[in-house]
Amino acid sequence: MKLKYLNTLILILICTGLRAQNIVGEVEYRYRIFYDKIYSSLPHITQQEKDRILLTWSNPDGYSTRMKLQFWPEKSLYTFGEPYQVQSYSWQVKDYFIENNLEDQTYLKYMDQMGKTYIVRDSLNTPKWRVMNEIRDILGHMCMKAVSEDSIKGQKITAWFASDIPVPMGPEEQFGLPGLILAYDINDGMLIVEAEKITFGEPEEIITLPKKLKGREVSGTKYQDIVREFIQSSIDSRRAWMWEIRY
Amino acid sequence: MKFLISCLLLAAITFTSHAQSKLTIRGVVKDTTNIPLDYTSVLLLSPKDSALVAYTLTNKDGEYQFKNVEKQPLLIKATYMGYLPIQKELVLPETGDLEVEEIQLMPILQELYEVVVKAAKAPLMMRGDTLEYDASKFKVPPGATLEELLRKLPGIQIDKDGNIVAQGQQVQKVTVDGRRFFGGNTKMATQNLNAESISKLQLYDDKSEQSKLTGVEDGVKEKTLNVELKEEAKKGGFGKLSAAGGTDGRWSSNASFNKFDKVNQFSVIGYGNNVNQSGLSWDDLQEFKGSSSFQFGDTGDFGFNGSGGMNFISFSGGDNEESFEIPFNNLNSGYSNNQAIGINYNYLKDKKDFSSNYFYSRSDQTLESINSRTNFLQDNTSFTSTDQSLQNNMAGHHRVNLRFQNELDSANTITINAKGRLSSLTTSLASHQELIRSSTEQSQMDRNNQSDKWSGAFQGTAIYRHKFKKNGRNFAASISDTYSKADQNGIQKSVVDVMNSTDPNTYFRNLDQLNEALNGSNQVKSSLLFVEPIKKVFFWETFYNFSQSKSETNRKVYDVEASDTQELNPELSRFFDNTITYNRFGSSIRYANKGSNLSVGLAASNYRLNGQFSVVEGSEILGRVDKNYINFTPNVSYWKTMKGNKNINASYAMGVSPPNIADLQPYKDISNPLYIREGNPDLEPEVSHSFNTGYSMYDPATFINLRFSFNSTFYQNQVVQNQTIDPETFVTTYKAGNVSGGQRYYPYLGFGFPIVKTKANAYLSANPSYSKSLSLINSIETETQTYSNNFGVNLDLTPLEWLSLYTGSSFRLSKTKYEQNPSQNQDIINWSAYSNVNIKFPKDFYLDVKFNYSRYENESFGFDQKVPILNAFVYKQIGEAKKWEVRLSAYDIFKQNQTISQYAGQNYVSTGRIETLSRYFLLGVTYNMRGVEVKKYR
Repeated sequence: MKLKYLNTLILILICTGLRAQNIVGEVEYRYRIFYDKIYSSLPHITQQEKDRILLTWSNPDGYSTRMKLQFWPEKSLYTFGEPYQVQSYSWQVKDYFIENNLEDQTYLKYMDQMGKTYIVRDSLNTPKWRVMNEIRDILGHMCMKAVSEDSIKGQKITAWFASDIPVPMGPEEQFGLPGLILAYDINDGMLIVEAEKITFGEPEEIITLPKKLKGREVSGTKYQDIVREFIQSSIDSRRAWMWEIRY
Repeated sequence: MKFLISCLLLAAITFTSHAQSKLTIRGVVKDTTNIPLDYTSVLLLSPKDSALVAYTLTNKDGEYQFKNVEKQPLLIKATYMGYLPIQKELVLPETGDLEVEEIQLMPILQELYEVVVKAAKAPLMMRGDTLEYDASKFKVPPGATLEELLRKLPGIQIDKDGNIVAQGQQVQKVTVDGRRFFGGNTKMATQNLNAESISKLQLYDDKSEQSKLTGVEDGVKEKTLNVELKEEAKKGGFGKLSAAGGTDGRWSSNASFNKFDKVNQFSVIGYGNNVNQSGLSWDDLQEFKGSSSFQFGDTGDFGFNGSGGMNFISFSGGDNEESFEIPFNNLNSGYSNNQAIGINYNYLKDKKDFSSNYFYSRSDQTLESINSRTNFLQDNTSFTSTDQSLQNNMAGHHRVNLRFQNELDSANTITINAKGRLSSLTTSLASHQELIRSSTEQSQMDRNNQSDKWSGAFQGTAIYRHKFKKNGRNFAASISDTYSKADQNGIQKSVVDVMNSTDPNTYFRNLDQLNEALNGSNQVKSSLLFVEPIKKVFFWETFYNFSQSKSETNRKVYDVEASDTQELNPELSRFFDNTITYNRFGSSIRYANKGSNLSVGLAASNYRLNGQFSVVEGSEILGRVDKNYINFTPNVSYWKTMKGNKNINASYAMGVSPPNIADLQPYKDISNPLYIREGNPDLEPEVSHSFNTGYSMYDPATFINLRFSFNSTFYQNQVVQNQTIDPETFVTTYKAGNVSGGQRYYPYLGFGFPIVKTKANAYLSANPSYSKSLSLINSIETETQTYSNNFGVNLDLTPLEWLSLYTGSSFRLSKTKYEQNPSQNQDIINWSAYSNVNIKFPKDFYLDVKFNYSRYENESFGFDQKVPILNAFVYKQIGEAKKWEVRLSAYDIFKQNQTISQYAGQNYVSTGRIETLSRYFLLGVTYNMRGVEVKKYR
């Protein structure tokens, strides 16, 4: 889809901003990953191993993390939310920030992936969305279904966007639909990201990136190459790449 | 409004520079009552794949406009909250702009939206004029029929005759997966179909049968309900069967079967062989136990432990008689005949989790071994005893494990564990011992022992966990009871042939005895834990542990005077009952933030040891133990997870272990006349100070990994066995004592890296160690130092899809130095190398060769043993699905096999050798319902 339409939309949104209260806000998502299903789908896993995984460590509830998206008509910020369970043990050290800027059509990702910290800056490249004939309700918003694909990670993405929140933003790497993406799903349930709470209006505490970004600075295309190569060498050596790359 | 338009104009100007094949599309969106809908999303899609081309919003008057749209086939779609999205194809004009005819949005039936989309959270799918939704999202009781499900659905009524009325019209036909159900009798379908098996319902107007048949549209529409059935629910089953027979009467077989669905897991497994496999494989164990394979934290022990650092869970395998766990990865020495059968059932529903299994295993083992032990005496002399023995062990174990966990709600969880074991063990031992004092002084003894033992144990544990409303505030309580009983009867006979000595108190003695032992114990344990969060990153943890174990030992030894007279031997018979009570209360402050974890704690512990000894129950008390120890144990641990998969940790822990109650007994125990034990009522508890540090990193991009750790322990009041050896009789008297100054150091360094990424990997490791132990030997403080150097190299090569090679070597040199007796210093070398090649040939033929080479050396004894073992397997998978496998196996081709052990102790050196299964060949067939797995990679 052509980016200029996004531009047009921003203009419309900015212009109608006074009328619409729902183009600025914060969404809390539950990021639920099902490692058993993903692991079972790796090419070197035998049928017997799939059964063994299903029997022994499959987790029907998945593994949950709370994520947070703050959106404005011209930009969005995305990172980890408050943990669900306050634990007396802390593992979490990885950073994961995504800033999408529609005004100048750029993005910035600051994230720990594949054992390194990457700073990825490039111009926005909207996923190729196909809009389907299906609706569903998420937190009182009527959402339409749209699908796309990620050929590098081999993912079939099913997203649900709320056309009554007309900002083309979304969680993780999803954006570019005629409404806020309130939920999406990868490969029929390997990953489920779903909004749990929407608060409209200027967020109380705006997500801030660390003052000094330390890491390897790469372009978006370069980063894609790194990911592609990483996945390939992981598959060749029968390792599970999804422990190291955000699924 | 004006502002908006000017904005749009501005946007339009920006993009109008190149027009020609581009056009502007505009139109208006209204609802069915002709009111303009503002703020409606209007989308342009490509008709071939619904790809999103452009989108915009309508203004206050319901107007929308797309400028500069590329000329291509387009769909227009409009969606507004509460309305059914509408989609239609656009007919593009040859020239000029397109004025789209008014789009009218129909409101979604209120009830439909509320009940289906909102309440049942079922997505609503539009297919032309059909609305479809996922009926499985509606909750109906188990076993409910379609009719009951339909009653719940909006817009559908069931009249008193059982007819379906949808949107005011009677449904004429019900189809299942698009096919007519029982001649169109709707009631037949609704009353017989199980609601749980339905995935989707579609309601639409179908052409009449008449028009379908004739192809002539008669205008008659029939309301049709189509029922889509669920694909078979998550269900599965698999089974494996394998049998092999070979030379020397060797055979091996195993079979397993699993059946499972979402809620139930059922499995049976069995094996039999005479090739020393006396446990399940790790994979088979997982398949057998299913969801109960990995259960952690079921012990119910809370609070920090005395070894410091993190608690790691390890799966080591083996078959321990005292254990409740199912044996796995266990390879017997010697020759053995093994059988087992097990059954497992797990039930998992909602937040309830039940698992159960029963496992019976038996093993009949013959061990032929030669052991040699050289004891050093203080005057630089030594004596050597050798033992050639033939042992037969027959063991059978019944094991039952039950576990139930119920998450009552999000705050409360209960876990109940029950384990039971019943074992029988029959042992017979024939041995020939020789004592060589010098070339002229020798004596020998022949022993013949037999024993029968029955033992049983039961363990029950209950754990309750509660999460408070305040996030991070937790409480946990546990209680457990372990009961065990063992009954043993035995015969001990020995005949001595003294060559050069007439002293009746020599090392060897003639014996003819019967013994009976009845041992029982019961341990009650309970723990409490409370965690209070302070300001998100600090946690205050308080715990209390209690345990009381009561045990009773009743050992009776009878001297057989004549074939019919048995006399109780009061020196060897013992009745002993004792109680150990343990209380610990501790508290720690934890800091946990961004991967950094620091915990500082202190605990106060109290041990009470009570016991009394007599010859038989009720007879005169020989001695009493009544000890009370109070200790304060600090504990500090630090663990930091860093970016880039790096970890660093450091910890200090103080451990206190009370003396063994038998070491406190205030009298001499001469139940083994060669090793007399003397108690020491003044013993203090052993205190250990452990310092551990470590670092690890892994770079997933380069596959480089590095691990380093350094662990050290210092002992205070270490409980050691001081020895006095009578130079004449060689009888050793042990007396437990406290000594300070013992220490151990264990560094470890490991480094793994790829030589050629994905094709060749190497791992190098080094772990030198040093330990110093002190004890009194013949009243002289003896210091024994052991330096050990262990180096390993491993190479994994997977150069081609059909070839993999794993090879490696390890070298271990342990130098033992005796401070007071340097001439006896020992250098023991264990050297081993392995390689494993797997080659895949065309037509599913495989070759697997495993070669292990071990060398054992001890120069001071001229001991040098090389054991090369070569195993080879050729197998072929048969059939499209590779469900069959034929395998020819050759074990120990060089006919070498023996198990060798070497050890240097404080004042002795021992070597042992067990004769074990040697060269044999097996030819076998395997059938696996899921296709035979090739274990070509590690």
